[in-house]
Amino acid sequence: MIRNKSMKRATLASAIVATSAMVLSIVPAQANSTGVTATSIKLGVSTPLTGSAGLVYGKVPGAMRAYFDYINANGGVNGRKISLVIRDDKYLPTLAATQTTNLILKDKVFALVGALGTATHSKAYTAAALAKNNVPDLFINTGFSGFTNKAKYPTTFMVLPTYAMEAKVMAKVIKDNFPGQATFMLAQDDEFGSDGVAGFTTAGHKFSATPTLYPQGTMTAARAEGALSALAAAAPGKPVLVLFGTTDVTATILKAAEKLELTKKFTFLAGSVGADANTLLALGVKSTTIDGIVSASFMPDAKDLTDPYVKQFIDINTKYNKGVTFDNYVLAGMNSAMLTVQALRAAGKNLTRAGLISAIEAKGSKFASAGLVPLGWSATSRVGYNGYWVSQLNAKGEGKPYGGKLVIYTTDSGAGAVEISNFTRPTMPRNGIPTNS
Amino acid sequence: MKNLKLTKGLITLSSAALVAALTVALPATAQAADTCVKTTVLSGTKSVSVEKCNGTDGNNSKYEIMMPAKFNGTLMVYSHGIRYNVNLPAIPVVAPKGSLVNYAPEVAPSTEVAAALLAQGFALAGSGVQTQGWNLTEGVDAALQVLTIARDKYSKISRVVTWGNSLGGLTSQALAEQYSGAVDAALPLCIADSAQAEITMAGDFLWGMKTLFNPAIKGTNYSAGQAGYVEMLTDLGTVLTTLQSLQAAIAANPTAPAWPATSTAPAALKALPVRSVVLLLGLMAGIPTQSNTYDASSGPAGASETTFGLVLSPALAVLENGAEAAILAVIANYDMEVRYGGVVFDNSTTNYVSRVSEELDQYAAALTGRNSALAVLGYLGLMPRVKANPEAVAKMNSVYQLQGKIDVPTITLATTADNITPAGAAQYLKNQYEASVANGVSKSGKLLTVWNKPDDAYTEFSSAGAPVAPVVKTNGTGHCNYTTSQILAVATLAASAAKTGRLPSSSAVNAAIKNEPNLFVDPNFAPPLLKFRQ
Repeated sequence: MIRNKSMKRATLASAIVATSAMVLSIVPAQANSTGVTATSIKLGVSTPLTGSAGLVYGKVPGAMRAYFDYINANGGVNGRKISLVIRDDKYLPTLAATQTTNLILKDKVFALVGALGTATHSKAYTAAALAKNNVPDLFINTGFSGFTNKAKYPTTFMVLPTYAMEAKVMAKVIKDNFPGQATFMLAQDDEFGSDGVAGFTTAGHKFSATPTLYPQGTMTAARAEGALSALAAAAPGKPVLVLFGTTDVTATILKAAEKLELTKKFTFLAGSVGADANTLLALGVKSTTIDGIVSASFMPDAKDLTDPYVKQFIDINTKYNKGVTFDNYVLAGMNSAMLTVQALRAAGKNLTRAGLISAIEAKGSKFASAGLVPLGWSATSRVGYNGYWVSQLNAKGEGKPYGGKLVIYTTDSGAGAVEISNFTRPTMPRNGIPTNS
Repeated sequence: MKNLKLTKGLITLSSAALVAALTVALPATAQAADTCVKTTVLSGTKSVSVEKCNGTDGNNSKYEIMMPAKFNGTLMVYSHGIRYNVNLPAIPVVAPKGSLVNYAPEVAPSTEVAAALLAQGFALAGSGVQTQGWNLTEGVDAALQVLTIARDKYSKISRVVTWGNSLGGLTSQALAEQYSGAVDAALPLCIADSAQAEITMAGDFLWGMKTLFNPAIKGTNYSAGQAGYVEMLTDLGTVLTTLQSLQAAIAANPTAPAWPATSTAPAALKALPVRSVVLLLGLMAGIPTQSNTYDASSGPAGASETTFGLVLSPALAVLENGAEAAILAVIANYDMEVRYGGVVFDNSTTNYVSRVSEELDQYAAALTGRNSALAVLGYLGLMPRVKANPEAVAKMNSVYQLQGKIDVPTITLATTADNITPAGAAQYLKNQYEASVANGVSKSGKLLTVWNKPDDAYTEFSSAGAPVAPVVKTNGTGHCNYTTSQILAVATLAASAAKTGRLPSSSAVNAAIKNEPNLFVDPNFAPPLLKFRQ
């Protein structure tokens, strides 16, 4: 009796299995429109919200969400509202891998946008199988040249220029503006700093001493004072000191210079990652120290109220990101969100992951954006902005064109020359709402 | 440590003849003398009537068969994990009370799992293989023999699932590939990679410890006979002492822990915090950077939150995981050297720099910078390497190597932070199977891989900010560390597959694991292969 019952159950179970017959291992590599419905598009980002990095970069995802909310309030993209799932990775590689995997497996997002950090995202990219799942990985906030490798990161689109490009532009700025001066470099001892050193080498620049590489988290005040004292003693005149690190380290070095009364001894040339004036001031650097710092940038200054993109984003921030002070990070977040909206529009109504990637390859270089340098996405290039302009901070923390005139430099991550570009930025879409197709 | 039990060894089995005779699906066994008793097993509050039979097979391996009164037709044949192949005196951590070689049969990963399966009507069988240590060939023989004995004894057995833990997982897969007609489904849990892949992982870590921290560690090339046994025991003590020294140094000064006094590394290297070097060794060997205590993601609330997760936690995890790997390396090297007649670990041509090229960037902060790590690697590049005995390696590799030739529904369960059989071993099987399908050897739709991951963040801290070791081992970390319910979930799926001849549907899989938050299925998830395979 029991056996008969079992057999019946077995037969029934077999029948059910036979009719449902979707065996996992033969399911095609994820539905291409995961995270998309007739009325919604779900995006995700793993980024630091808390911890020391969260203090600096924590505004970026909120700014993206605010812009999406604004777009949603104005009809969305092809009738679909955009939602953004934000997960905190504290800038830790393992947690970034975990959170990115969660975005794919648990949250089932359609695409990622605005992931931040090299160590974090390179680990996350592999762990979450983004390539195999064909998940569009949009506008990552890192300039590591490794992400230009389309074979390894086939779904990734950088928004930043590479650190190597930045270093090449810096080398040209030094050559053109500081001939004969000694030059030194303090850089983070990882892919960030290595990329920078490689860029200077490619540009043919020779520092007066081997660049000092310090591990992330080890640039203490004492170490900074020691380094500055040694460099000051090593070179007469007003040497150029390239700072290729994060903003907190730039602040530590500048405060050490203040303590040693060496702020006027050097011309500080700070990389774009470590030269956010608001953050430097918040970290206790004196405005008189900031005054005169030279930096490379590809975005307008967030304090430039004459810039139509800045002005529009400030309006959106006021309404959709209440209580958050507008700064370069908010500007960057909204800009990436606007690029995302254009990418989604370019991919058309039948939104698929493959379609989105193709759309950026085909049309991305023409997207409107706040950046003052050209976008370079194509079927063969994954680099977003392809150059820099050189700014000089004033005591208010405003970045003004170095020498009084905006000069845009473009280059590549390899041996290509640094050239002056006559690039004209696309006009801001009306009301900040893209209408491209 | 349960599945780390290596054993003594060297009982030569004349199993070649048996293997030759077993080329058909279900051979007759050479010998079956058993004693059966009626007994009851308690599963929760449920009492299950069982006939329990014990005997010895044709190779003198002890076996056990448990047949429930209410049998559902499916027999599950279990292969146990690796056990120590030598008797050990009392050694802290490794064998606190000492241990004798264990030949007892096992029918399931735990008595709790066994009871639950019996309560569901499954019959269970398993052996205690007469040759312990790395006994893949003998383990397959033993599983096949007990399977055959059970079928001869109970004609009502209509389906067979082969399953096992660790080396037993490899054994069950090897059985299914070699004798697919004998089984209806396979369920390798925390499957081990090949002997060479596993010994490379453990050996790399041990060689790094010897080279950087304590040259008194012998590690390989143990002498013959009793002298070698003593050398192995001495090595265990030396390794433990070195590990304790590292642990104490990091506990005393996590930011800049000192090197062990036994180290002969250059002073320039010793300027680096030793925790960074421990992490580098772990990355070189492929040891997970998440462990029972350390998640590489959490930090104590306050100023050092990010620093702990970024800089300290991965290194501490490697130390916690690597302790087992180093002990395994000593005992396994000894076992395999005796078994195969010479040194089997070989790093004479290993390029450790290229092995960790990606990790150097991902863990740059914890490594105290990319260039610091390269300096250590540069030093290691100059140090003497270990050259294996080619004949011994050939003998080691002459045992069956997995082909990925999967004919019956197969479900694997692997843990993403398993420190002894990393998840890459299951991935390797998956890759092999996909290649087999692509080559037209196997049919598609026969392999399902279930992954077990730890919680997103799990390190606990005291009010003083010190990490606290968990009372219960952290699921998703450690070796073959599954809950009973997780094992039952996949066992039930495998039994279902054995019935239908097909993998369960995705909805059935989702239903089976819906209450198991640490289990997930993603056909595209691909953990890194063991370093030997990269």
